[in-house]
Amino acid sequence: MSFLKLISTFLIFFSISLQARDYIIVQSTTSTANTGLLDILSERFFIQTGIEVRAVAVGTGTAIANAKKGDGDILIVHSKLDELNFIEEGFGVERFDLMYNDFIIVGPKNDPANISNKKDIADVMKQLASSKYKFISRDDNSGTHKKELLLWKIAGLQVPKDNSYLKTGSSMANAINVAAEMQAYLLTDRGTWISFKNKNNLKILFEKNESLFNPYGVIAINPKKFPHVEYQKSKKFINWLLNGEGKQLISNYEVDNQQLFFTYN
Amino acid sequence: MPETSKIIEAIIISLHVSFIATLFAFSLSIFFGYLIATRQFFAKKYIVSILGSLTSIPPVCAGLIVYLIISRQGPLGWMQLLYTPTAMIIAQFIIIFPIMTTLIINYIEQEYPQVKEELISYGASQKDIVMLMIINQKSIYLTIVLIGFGRAISEYGAAAIVGGSIDHITRNMTAMIALETAKGNILVGVTLGAILIVLSLLMSFGINYFRKND
Repeated sequence: MSFLKLISTFLIFFSISLQARDYIIVQSTTSTANTGLLDILSERFFIQTGIEVRAVAVGTGTAIANAKKGDGDILIVHSKLDELNFIEEGFGVERFDLMYNDFIIVGPKNDPANISNKKDIADVMKQLASSKYKFISRDDNSGTHKKELLLWKIAGLQVPKDNSYLKTGSSMANAINVAAEMQAYLLTDRGTWISFKNKNNLKILFEKNESLFNPYGVIAINPKKFPHVEYQKSKKFINWLLNGEGKQLISNYEVDNQQLFFTYN
Repeated sequence: MPETSKIIEAIIISLHVSFIATLFAFSLSIFFGYLIATRQFFAKKYIVSILGSLTSIPPVCAGLIVYLIISRQGPLGWMQLLYTPTAMIIAQFIIIFPIMTTLIINYIEQEYPQVKEELISYGASQKDIVMLMIINQKSIYLTIVLIGFGRAISEYGAAAIVGGSIDHITRNMTAMIALETAKGNILVGVTLGAILIVLSLLMSFGINYFRKND
């Protein structure tokens, strides 16, 4: 009967995905993907090993939540405290320092809030808390959002609640777009900023402050917790990133002649 | 444009995923549409109205439902479907199946009583009647297929949630438009948007052409 044929077609169709995987899924922060770094890494790794690296770019918070459900093999995020918690709860095997760059605060070129001459991050945040200046928040539990919340805390301030504090709930690049459109201030990682193409009257107003350090970590998801993860392949990828050609690729990766990410020696 | 190869890839992924989703949705909607339309049974009007309301299911909701089912912790987690084109096909199927089934039920309910008596008197079986109705009214079924396909290929949300917008694998046209626009690559976004519009224009010209020649 034709209906049976249809059902069996469905089953054959689905069974394709039941074979052993020759790929690994990376749950990653948006900044590594929006900058194009992960594309280059996965391309090169595939050529060398035949293992495909599939990157799902979501915020750090979402990436960690997805990884906790077992949807992924590797985590590349930038929120060290959460990463250590992730290990402690048994979801990850071990956290490695992958690379770093820094956060910057960008805003309209004419700098109406006058933050570019400030020396201290607390002063900057106090200026920005004033309701006169629009500030864009990621509001998506991403690493950048967590950093922003921490910065308000360092400055001894509550997170602003008025209408000048806008929550976008979108990726890093998307949030820069919104800021460019509204001529607002925002906190971003330098990598996404450099590779962003539509800067539109925004510029870096506060940078190179030790409170703005932005370390990325890489974690293999624990096969004891989730037997289905491709741990051996993940380990291979992580080793390649930390000691192999991956490391060179990261430090050689440039957009507009600027290095986006720095590896540890 | 350096992204040309990526754009072509996204178009291929979009066409591939939406084509298979439409294929499955159409075969199943013919089957169920015919079953429901030609029979009288107790729950019929409830089924029809549920299908009718599902025609306007927001893609993100369909995506979320599929996500919950095929995520590792979900009932079908063991099938490893999340972040694959198959997952996108299922999500698009859920969006377009109610639409196509409702359209087919409406059509068969109108047409079936008129042809039934005559065809049965010629000795036609139920299966023959369905085949004849399809062959005789190709353009109507083609329209239904193209409506389903158009909805599937233009949806953003469902495929993005369950596909994960993975480069080369699940980054279809709509996901790429969203991503490139977000990155500030407005040109790539506009190019893809234009291609999508041209595709749907071609489809609606196709419908009209078949209608005239029918």
